[in-house]
Amino acid sequence: MKLLSLAGLGAAAGFCAAVAFTHIAQGDTGDIPPSSSYAQLDRFAEALTKVHDNYVTPEDDRTLVENAIDGMTSSLDPHSSYFSPTVFAEMQTTTQGQYGGVGLVIAVESGQVKVISPIDGTPASRAGIKAGDVIMAIDGVSAQGLKLDDVQSKLRGPQGTKVTITVAREGQKDTIDFHLVRADVAVEPVTWRTDGDVGYIKIPAFNDHTDDGVKKAVAGIKAKLGPRLKGYVLDLRNDGGGVLDAAIAVSDDFLDGGEIVSTRGRHPEDMQRYDAHPGDIADGKPILILTNGGTASASEIVAGALQDHRRAKVVGTVTFGKGSVQTIIPLNDGEDGALHLTTGRYYAPSGRSIQTVGIIPDYPVAAAGKKIDPADQEIESEAKLPHHLPAEGPGANATPPPPLQPPPGKTFDDFQLDYAVSLLDGTTLASTAPRPHG
Amino acid sequence: MKRAAFVGIGAVVGFVVALTLFPAAHGASDMSAYRQLDLFSDAFERVREDYVRPVDDSELIDDAINGMVSALDPHSSYMNAKEFADMQIQTKGEFGGLGIEVTQANGLIKVISPIDGTPAARAGIRTGDYIATIDGMSVQGLSLTDAINKLRGPQGTKVTITILRPGAKKPFDVTLTRAIVEVDAVKYHRDGDIGYIRIAAFNEKTADEVEDAVANLKKQIGPGLKGYIIDLRNNPGGLLDQAIQVSDDFLNSGEIVSTRGRHQDDTQRYDAKPGDIADGKPITVLINGGTASASEIVSGALQDHKRATILGMTSFGKGSVQTIIVLGDGRGALRLTTARYYTPSGRSIQAEGIVPDVAVAQGDEAQLASLGASEADLPGHLAGDGGAKKPQHIIKPPAGKKIDDFQLSYALDLMRGKVAVASGNKSANAD
Repeated sequence: MKLLSLAGLGAAAGFCAAVAFTHIAQGDTGDIPPSSSYAQLDRFAEALTKVHDNYVTPEDDRTLVENAIDGMTSSLDPHSSYFSPTVFAEMQTTTQGQYGGVGLVIAVESGQVKVISPIDGTPASRAGIKAGDVIMAIDGVSAQGLKLDDVQSKLRGPQGTKVTITVAREGQKDTIDFHLVRADVAVEPVTWRTDGDVGYIKIPAFNDHTDDGVKKAVAGIKAKLGPRLKGYVLDLRNDGGGVLDAAIAVSDDFLDGGEIVSTRGRHPEDMQRYDAHPGDIADGKPILILTNGGTASASEIVAGALQDHRRAKVVGTVTFGKGSVQTIIPLNDGEDGALHLTTGRYYAPSGRSIQTVGIIPDYPVAAAGKKIDPADQEIESEAKLPHHLPAEGPGANATPPPPLQPPPGKTFDDFQLDYAVSLLDGTTLASTAPRPHG
Repeated sequence: MKRAAFVGIGAVVGFVVALTLFPAAHGASDMSAYRQLDLFSDAFERVREDYVRPVDDSELIDDAINGMVSALDPHSSYMNAKEFADMQIQTKGEFGGLGIEVTQANGLIKVISPIDGTPAARAGIRTGDYIATIDGMSVQGLSLTDAINKLRGPQGTKVTITILRPGAKKPFDVTLTRAIVEVDAVKYHRDGDIGYIRIAAFNEKTADEVEDAVANLKKQIGPGLKGYIIDLRNNPGGLLDQAIQVSDDFLNSGEIVSTRGRHQDDTQRYDAKPGDIADGKPITVLINGGTASASEIVSGALQDHKRATILGMTSFGKGSVQTIIVLGDGRGALRLTTARYYTPSGRSIQAEGIVPDVAVAQGDEAQLASLGASEADLPGHLAGDGGAKKPQHIIKPPAGKKIDDFQLSYALDLMRGKVAVASGNKSANAD
């Protein structure tokens, strides 16, 4: 039986979901549950029978049971769920890259399907779908009240096929129909630029191409700045995570040795530890990592590893705090779908779990500036999700300090970034600010 | 074998509800159910073995049953043994609440209606409001029962809820003090020669109180009494037998309502007994989008028998009946949709609502309609049978004039002949 692990938060449509490590699940289904769980199963059987016999319309038993499994797993924590056979089958083809998408990162909020961002260079962004658009219908079928999974599977389909998306846009009276052709959606790429003598690298998500993108970015920055290069800013703001392997590889890029992250599950033998290999592509130059409440999961692994090894300082606001690992457990070889189950927590090298606590920045700095969308800055955190896994271990009660606000009367494009750059090039902005936090 | 039924919407916060025992299940299920049980026990076993921390078996099963039942429709739900026991305590009025009828919609908790005279109504909570957080915790991912449990608590304690209001720019917080919610189901007063009766909910005393109200109004007004206005706006329903009794009060004979379930022998028909406590005087019934369930039974019965003129806006459209099915010893209970009900003419109001004879807007409905405040807008609702007519012309309050309650004032004018409604050409003529 194959197990796949995800360290992502939420999901992206038309975008490859993560596959990280593989190992064999112990204990096959032949285990006989103890008598108390038989009594509980019997209780479920009674409820199923009562619904089967008495509900106002005849219901398919299969659907009843799928909804039960969904109810059981979704109630565990915000990241556990059940994939029906259809969704699971689609996911597998999607991860193998045969399927196409439109290139939208979406979220379901209050039953509305919202566009978080169209991915550059994809059908969605070329057609002009914008962040904040609400998807009302897909191929004429209402999308209201749909689950994220369902929306994603409706948006996906073979490359070259057509899909019509009806969106409502703020300030527009009528809905707008977009006719898109599904394409091989390029995964969110790493981008870079230079800001004075500082190299800036934006990592929007962790996927199979991310590590390569980071290496190319560093090489590009070195080539452009040469010996003037003072250091790097790694922007992990609003990076909701992705593949665990990619997070490990990116951390390894900047570390010479030592532990990057470890994951621990229910059983002692589930413990996994990942270590860095010699070599630092940034040659030991200073690194600052930008974080905010949208920095989650795989991003927190990178920030935690570089912070614990004192390889980087973290600038910004406290991260999301998703410190759990999910595993996909197929049922009946996938014919009955699969569980997407939280099976482990991960720990930063110092042994801290970031679950609900998040990464606390070394330089707490508020988001502000002309290029900052205030809607992005609503404080998100794992601790606010119902049924979240509780924090544990050292630092579980850590409280973040209040972030530094921009000085009055001055305007910034992006205060956090400007602050980080000034820390690296030693300009005045940093010197006027308070000392770094503990 | 006794079988009471609820015809309330959603679940009731801090408000007495009905409870009943259901006969044992009709024999064993077929083999397919057993095959599906295998699938379930496989999933159950994986979670027990592999979840990041040990989880209580009974919690897993509670969540499974809840997932199965809640996915059926917006009114079906599961109460575990403790919740079921709490509900029984609540029917004795020992729990504090806020006094709102709520349901689940769009992943949030949606207010069907605040009950008159309760903390929620005093704080200005409105029909169509969404509750996004309770004491700072998001309600997303919570079952309806869990959310209601968080809203409830000992009398005098405080709870802060974040409200998303359609049309309001930003979510806002409201802090409420829980109280023992004693629903004043019926209030009445005379308005000149017309008796006004407000029915806020259908509880055990509603029919008695309506009968008292009519008797007292007759005394107060005397022989000049022109007729009655029965106000069922924002009345979310309650007990089926009370809705039947109130309809019967004003009808001399004929069917009031029938309920039909899965099985032939589940059909129940309720007929009126001779006698009309209003002596055949004209009745106008006021309804709106918050008029649901038991209230729709009364409106539908009086409308079909042409005993009353229905005035206001199309009602909510909850045409299903829920039954409490107790699972074996201490195993909790299902609140399961088991039947639909039909008005005397045979129409189901499910997802269609009662369409008023005289459509009159209060003037504040526009925002609600756009956000969907009816059964047909609830995800997973039972489909209607189709065929309900739409009101042709909606009379709106005259622009520039401020009238506290336009629907009521229009109803009074109509009964006094100050405005006339010509069929097919209903127009406002408030002067």
